[in-house]
Amino acid sequence: MKNLKLTKGLVALSTAALIAAFTVAVPTVARAADDCQETTILYGIKVVDIEKCTGTDANKSKYEIIMPAKFNGTLMVYSHGIRYNVNLPAIPVVAPKGSLIDYSPAVSPSEEVTAALLAQGFAVAGAGVQTQGWNLEEGVEAALQVITIARDKYSKISKVVTWGNSLGGLTSQALAEQYSGAVDAAAPMCIADSAQAEITMAGDFLWGMKQFFNPAIKGSNYSAGQAGYVEMLTDLGTVLTTLQALQAAIAANPTAPAWPATSTVPAALKAIPVRSAILLLGLISGIPTQSNTYDASSGPVGPLETSFGLVISPALAVLENGAQAAILAVIANYDMEVRYGGVVFDNSKTDYAKRLGDDADVYAAGLTGKSGIAGMLGYLSPLNPAAPRVTANAAAVAKMNSVYQLQGKIEVPTIAISATADHITPAGALQYLKNQYEASVENKAAKSGKLLTIWNKPADEYTTFSAAGSPVTPTSATNGTGHCNYTTSQILAVAKLAAAAAKSGKLPSNTAVKAAIKNEPNLFVDPNFAPALLKFRQ
Amino acid sequence: MIRNKNMKRASLVSAVIATGAMVLSTLPAQAATPGVTASEIKLGISSPLTGSAGLSYGKVPGAMKAYFNYINANGGVYGRKITLISRDDKYLPTLAATQTTNLVLKDNVFALVGALGTATHSKAYKAAALAKNNVPDLFINTGYSGFTDKTKYPTTFMVLPTYAMEAKVIAKAIKDNFPGQATFLVAQDDEFGSDGVAGFTTAGHKFSAAPILYPQGSMTAARAESALTALGATPGKPVVVLFGTTDVTATILKAAEKLALTTKFTWYAGSVGADANTLLALGVKPATIDGVISASFMPDAKDMTDPYVKQFADINAKYNKGVTFDNYVLAAMNSAMLTVQALRAAGKNLTRAGVISAIENKGAKFASAGLVPLGYSPTSRIGYNGYWVSQLNAKGEGKPYGGKLVIYSTDSGAGAVEVSNFVRPTMPKNGIPTNS
Repeated sequence: MKNLKLTKGLVALSTAALIAAFTVAVPTVARAADDCQETTILYGIKVVDIEKCTGTDANKSKYEIIMPAKFNGTLMVYSHGIRYNVNLPAIPVVAPKGSLIDYSPAVSPSEEVTAALLAQGFAVAGAGVQTQGWNLEEGVEAALQVITIARDKYSKISKVVTWGNSLGGLTSQALAEQYSGAVDAAAPMCIADSAQAEITMAGDFLWGMKQFFNPAIKGSNYSAGQAGYVEMLTDLGTVLTTLQALQAAIAANPTAPAWPATSTVPAALKAIPVRSAILLLGLISGIPTQSNTYDASSGPVGPLETSFGLVISPALAVLENGAQAAILAVIANYDMEVRYGGVVFDNSKTDYAKRLGDDADVYAAGLTGKSGIAGMLGYLSPLNPAAPRVTANAAAVAKMNSVYQLQGKIEVPTIAISATADHITPAGALQYLKNQYEASVENKAAKSGKLLTIWNKPADEYTTFSAAGSPVTPTSATNGTGHCNYTTSQILAVAKLAAAAAKSGKLPSNTAVKAAIKNEPNLFVDPNFAPALLKFRQ
Repeated sequence: MIRNKNMKRASLVSAVIATGAMVLSTLPAQAATPGVTASEIKLGISSPLTGSAGLSYGKVPGAMKAYFNYINANGGVYGRKITLISRDDKYLPTLAATQTTNLVLKDNVFALVGALGTATHSKAYKAAALAKNNVPDLFINTGYSGFTDKTKYPTTFMVLPTYAMEAKVIAKAIKDNFPGQATFLVAQDDEFGSDGVAGFTTAGHKFSAAPILYPQGSMTAARAESALTALGATPGKPVVVLFGTTDVTATILKAAEKLALTTKFTWYAGSVGADANTLLALGVKPATIDGVISASFMPDAKDMTDPYVKQFADINAKYNKGVTFDNYVLAAMNSAMLTVQALRAAGKNLTRAGVISAIENKGAKFASAGLVPLGYSPTSRIGYNGYWVSQLNAKGEGKPYGGKLVIYSTDSGAGAVEVSNFVRPTMPKNGIPTNS
């Protein structure tokens, strides 16, 4: 059963090895003057003449503007998603080849999208923000500067669309709300919720992993300076080895997998299959129960045909999703603690039973019944000294929340897309924006008819099994699952709708929506579809 | 969908659906009622056709279709033919959510009928935004009392009595018929079982030991044998209440056969877990089911002296050829008949709100095969609100326990279990409702 691609080498990973393997590289920031070159790109067999300009803005963020020779008047300004704000040594899954902080500018989600947009006459632009990590303010500033520079350079720009992925989606939305005069339309994709909402989701899962599976996970309150950096790297290794142990346990016995050796929960709790504990952590933190491999519905032919989809698949989906969520939790939590000056995750008052809510009924079988639920929640109770809660640094939280928070005051046409099984920025983040917007409309703070939400769902059933009955991880990522995992055609559909909206000043008509997504069976528009908000919002 | 020159948006939506993309208007709501045209009413059902639950419940959509086809052959509902679109959810919550969403957005159904299961439907209800879309959610096949919450499920109407009601009736039957005997409860460890446990508690019944609870899908032969071995040491002839699905009842009864304990206990199987045909199909011996006590709100499907049963059996023979008439078919056709009455009661100008209002105000008087009253009202979404106690014989027939049919009526709360003198409405002529 290959649901996680963890390598055995990880087991041997130690703090000393991490330090030895890695020499901190101080990134350089080029201050090169604006440089424009005429060149060409290929889109299929089509040669597109372009002018590419690069430079650094006033905040030293690199930017790139690409103007096609046959310009249609609309500039698409892209904001990239969160990037690690630390250099990493080679770590399986996280950074297989090691990574340095990436300050390069991004003008769209992919080169293919860039080429397609340029071929259709759009100009594209974007920045590589000088401050990485959770950089909402800097990201907004960088995008604004790119717009200003582009408009100064090209007077023929008549319309501007701000768009972005993940944190970049939040950035584009924040820009549109705060500086609506600067743009004509917005297209936030897989929009992130606020820092606190996102860190709560990731932090809950990570905290639960620590309590249930491995108390060696630190999870928060990293030390200052180099010591904290080492603690963070060590945590990555601990989290990955814990995930690996869980994966191995389920592979050995999917129905009743054992708890990892590192777990210190009481024996009575270990009588519950560990898959139930994984599922519980996913449900209380808001990790989706569908993932790249697991659809929570299909089962192999044979005795597990129904029970696999009922009790095993949702847990494996959480594990597959949670692996990335936990890794991001470690890195993002560390980044935020450094950035804001203290612990930002807080579950001191969290009622996890309330967080579970109706899912206690829906997933009762997977959670080993109400008895199993009671046992697991009891262990996570604040009354259990063996599972101490985390209290945040109030000043750090205040600083984290002092940045712009979405108001839903949408003044320019906004085309948003989110996937129902995105495990990093769940669809509930977009739903929150929608709720905020509807409240603004009701309060007369915004006009109606400015927000179109497009939802991306996976196919009804997509898990496949080998002849031996083992689930098979797909070779290409399952659309509707994963983080910002849109196809090029889906992204282009959103981009074109946004560009059309920028021109008309209105949301696209049903005809336009129909035309844009007619070949996209995984996209749908339902004004009444309302995915669950992130747990922090509930 | 009705089309005219003034309904451009509606026609656009229709065209989008025809392409298979799930697009609804982002602009003001369409004027036409989804799933209704001058000649058709489109209904949908998400239920298990395959998987382990498909064995028992797989007949439900076909039986409903058969009854609707019978009605269609006899003029339909105010001239409109009923089309039932069935989607297989395998009794899995995530798939039920997917399929229910598909029914609403892709298939554009007017209403849902006969959805099955608590975990499945509670997830599906929210995922498909049935409340926001005001989709009538008719005659769901679950007894979970949570679905009586009109605030949470404003478009839902139950058909089964609640599990709490059933537990209260069972408690009374035990008290009346088996005084002094030890009693034990084996129940599914979820809202199904906890609803039942709550009912027993409300009724003041105390079991001789803590309930044996098992998560859905986890009752194995070994576990059943272990439990029965322990209970077998109890003096006398203990009453064992099985509050789970029929496949679990079968597992436990077969374990009893293996341990030669079938006659050691008085078996009391809840209504969800006592379908004789399924028990026999799963390998339980006729001698073992002979004497199993249960509770029901419907007549027995083998009782051809009952006019409803006879009528439905005749319809099944003609419109559902090759399918054995049993309790599942009977219940499904009965729900279909309720549906037809609800559609009729809503009037010729059919709307979703109209159907909901019609059931609230007229549903309690709908004709049905049920031997206990229907509880619909503007404040109640409960279907049947009582039971009669039955006993299976070796042929799988359910006969009144003690030889006399006694109808009990109660509520889900602290109300008493009372003998009811309810007289069932006469069956519409030829099983074709003419109500308005």
